[in-house]
Amino acid sequence: MPDSPHIRLLPPDVANKIAAGEVVERPASVLKELFENAIDSGATQVGVAIVAGGARLVSVADNGSGMDRDDALLSVERHATSKIREADDIGHIRTLGFRGEALAAISSVCRFRLCTRRASDLAGSELIMSGGKVQDLREAGCPPGTLIEVRDLFFNMPARRKFLRSPQTETGHLRQTFLVHALGCPAVGMSLTIDGRDAWALAGGSTHGERIRELFGREMMEGVRPVEGRSEAASLTGFVSLPTLNRGDRGEQYVFINGRPSSAPVINYAIREAYHNLLADGRHPYVFLFIELPPEAVDVNVHPTKREVRFRQPSDIRDLIISGIRRALMESGGEFIRGKTDPSVFVEAVSIPAQTAFSSFKVDDLPPTRILGYPHPSAPENGATPSARRQEPEAADPLVPQREPPGATGGKSPWAWCRIVGQVGGLYVLMETDDGYVVMDPHAAHERVLFEKFMNSVAGGTIESQGLLVPESVELPPRDAMLVRKNLDLLKKMGIGVSEFGGDTFMVDALPAGFNDVRIREMLADVAHHLETLGERGSHTRWREEAIAQAACKAATKARDRLSLAELERLVVQLAATEMPYTCPHGRPTLIHTSFKELAKRFGRE
Amino acid sequence: MKIVISKDAVMSGLQMVHGVVNVRPTLPVLSNVLFQAQDEKLWMTTTDLEVTMRCAVEAKISKGGATTLPARRLLSIIRELPADNIEIEVDEKNSASISCGASFFKILGLPEDEFPAIPKYDGGTTFTVDQKVLKEMLQKTFYAASNDETRFILNGTYVSFKGNKMTLVATDGRRLALTEHEMEFPKESESEAIIPTKAVNELLRVLKDEGTVKIHMTKNQAGFEVNDVLLITKLIEGTYPNFKQVIPGQCEHRIPIEREAFLAALKRVALLTSDKASSIKLTFGKNKLKISAQSPDIGEAHETVPIKYMGKEMVVAFNPDYIMEPLRNLMTDEIFVEMTDELSPGVIKCDVPFIYVLMPMRVG
Repeated sequence: MPDSPHIRLLPPDVANKIAAGEVVERPASVLKELFENAIDSGATQVGVAIVAGGARLVSVADNGSGMDRDDALLSVERHATSKIREADDIGHIRTLGFRGEALAAISSVCRFRLCTRRASDLAGSELIMSGGKVQDLREAGCPPGTLIEVRDLFFNMPARRKFLRSPQTETGHLRQTFLVHALGCPAVGMSLTIDGRDAWALAGGSTHGERIRELFGREMMEGVRPVEGRSEAASLTGFVSLPTLNRGDRGEQYVFINGRPSSAPVINYAIREAYHNLLADGRHPYVFLFIELPPEAVDVNVHPTKREVRFRQPSDIRDLIISGIRRALMESGGEFIRGKTDPSVFVEAVSIPAQTAFSSFKVDDLPPTRILGYPHPSAPENGATPSARRQEPEAADPLVPQREPPGATGGKSPWAWCRIVGQVGGLYVLMETDDGYVVMDPHAAHERVLFEKFMNSVAGGTIESQGLLVPESVELPPRDAMLVRKNLDLLKKMGIGVSEFGGDTFMVDALPAGFNDVRIREMLADVAHHLETLGERGSHTRWREEAIAQAACKAATKARDRLSLAELERLVVQLAATEMPYTCPHGRPTLIHTSFKELAKRFGRE
Repeated sequence: MKIVISKDAVMSGLQMVHGVVNVRPTLPVLSNVLFQAQDEKLWMTTTDLEVTMRCAVEAKISKGGATTLPARRLLSIIRELPADNIEIEVDEKNSASISCGASFFKILGLPEDEFPAIPKYDGGTTFTVDQKVLKEMLQKTFYAASNDETRFILNGTYVSFKGNKMTLVATDGRRLALTEHEMEFPKESESEAIIPTKAVNELLRVLKDEGTVKIHMTKNQAGFEVNDVLLITKLIEGTYPNFKQVIPGQCEHRIPIEREAFLAALKRVALLTSDKASSIKLTFGKNKLKISAQSPDIGEAHETVPIKYMGKEMVVAFNPDYIMEPLRNLMTDEIFVEMTDELSPGVIKCDVPFIYVLMPMRVG
């Protein structure tokens, strides 16, 4: 047994590679670590350059403190850091990093170059490494501060390299990382260059508000309100969106704790609570919160990426956030209740607040009984019980003819006949059918009907789109903009006439026929979100089409709060004719069916 | 309050004002009509807090006073009464006794002071227009307004008095209708307003073909006065979009078409569009216009209409309702369709100041 498996201490380069697996997941994580180092070094200006989605190059240059020759060499050792000295220091960390792992891990999986000079030194040092091994260390001329270049990431880990996504996707992640850090440190001037083109140049010395405006645009700032709050231990500042400005995912919620982008379940909970009743289910606000509290009161050492934090007193933070946001929304007065008047031309900046969405849903003048019949192949017309019951309500209202829908598809419909009984809860529609009663969510039902119709015309190439008299311009958050930009052709093919209008602004000049009441901004944001959640499947056109259709249909039905009885009846008929009448395209149920059998059982009649 | 009144008089008054009453009002008193008896006249007022409608009818008043009574119930009772002379007496508890021939009804009302104060307008400017002129102008435009509550600025008809012209505009962002009427007024009276669609609908019922209407414009409300009928409406607040940028400056082809024949052909062909959203295709060929529609699950239809046209063949698709609505609401025999190409907006004009712009549909 020559090779008996003894336990051995791993050599440092292997250990580093393993650590890299945790810290360096993709180019964006490299950027995050380098960025944090730059900011911790006291820099006032940080320049970032990326090439080919970061796979070729991620470089970060700062004008911070810099290092001398010995420190430069030590910096790439594992657990080497200037940020803490003893275990107790972990309890009160003021810097973004502290674990002393990042450079060691990064330098082990790339071709690495570090140039650094302290302002007081005459000459700087240049350190060149490849796959974690020092190739060269020499004196070099360079400006004060530190420049780190990470080239050919994962060149020595082919398996890992294969997992890198397309350059566009990785660029998207890098942009997002940049954006998050730019939000967190408005005092630091920052620039981002992508493949040699300037993507952003942000002035230093800004306030949070100015930085958000620079990154997200003027329109966004008009839809948010400043938040302020203070408790014994912590202080809260930032901006939150009025309920009128919302989206279908939590992607645009940025929370910073002591300048560090963070998340914690308690924060998400607090944001949700603060908007309770103000937003419909599944809608989320835009949130930018900056929480400052003593380092002892928060534990950031939960995970190597330090994303998730724990609070010593979570309830304190929760109350601070809820009261802060509520106050901010309250101070804006009735503004978001009435909707805001926007003088700009034909822009749908105004939307009815979501809280009224349900209460304003009205079915006009429901008469007591109306029957919607369906051809039912198996049920003989002159059969005993079912048809006897069927005649009954008809006789009650002889003036109303039995409606035979054109497109009903025989035995596939969810019922042989049905009768709209009325509306409950100001929203749900109650129907009696041949073997029980059905509660229908008209929003979900309408979404399903629209979705199948839309997908059919996309598949058949018969999509029709209605031109708008005045095109509408929409400015999107950077990540949404990228996703929309990538799918412009597909969106056009699907009848959404959207084109680029410089920066992250888009022009929409046509909508699919039948999508009349769509809030265009919400729709594009939702489309982006749906495309993003596709993940791997996004490479298939069919999946992307479905994602776009889902989002568009959702946006189109949200505004449809008022239905006349005739529309409702048409909806019931159309729903019965769909292929999947039981759920909306997002998988929520459209119908809840209770059989007479079940009722009998529940009443103890069986 | 005690009055004797003819059935016709009450009916005409109630029919005039009851349209304002909401089916499900926010306050119970808003289901009621306010009755005020004084000076040989019975004033009836209804409101939904946005639109207030008021009218007076002749009555013999033995005792003046005021009360409010449920409007719809009252209307259905009066409609069925057997004779012409109706006596209405209201006691201090606001219960009204209605006797007419051998019939007797007692219905419960609510006190007058619960009814919202009738809006008054101070300042502002007044214009006098022929009822017929205003009625026809409203008819030519109001249908183009948007019903989409998210774009409430467009949920009405824009009225402006500027440059010695009265201009009416309505649009929903897909099509736009505009009419103008020349009139004289001093420069300082220039004003503009957005009248909610509900008020426009009521106004269309009030306006007749003879006589004049007085229009009062103030900052946040407008009043329309026709003899003994007064309609006051809150205005939609905000700035109306700059509609001038939407109207194409020039066109390639101006094609005269006989309105009624065109409309009838459109109606027939539109029967074969599967729903409101699908398009109807217009093919302009040499001296003939082919109108066609098809839907995969129904079938197809086409019809040709003779026109005067010698240009190159042009195919353009429109939403059938968008093209039929102006034709229905115009009165002239001949209209002009102005076209440039398949993707530019189409324009409908006629020999009176009227412009209708509509965006074509793109068919994939």
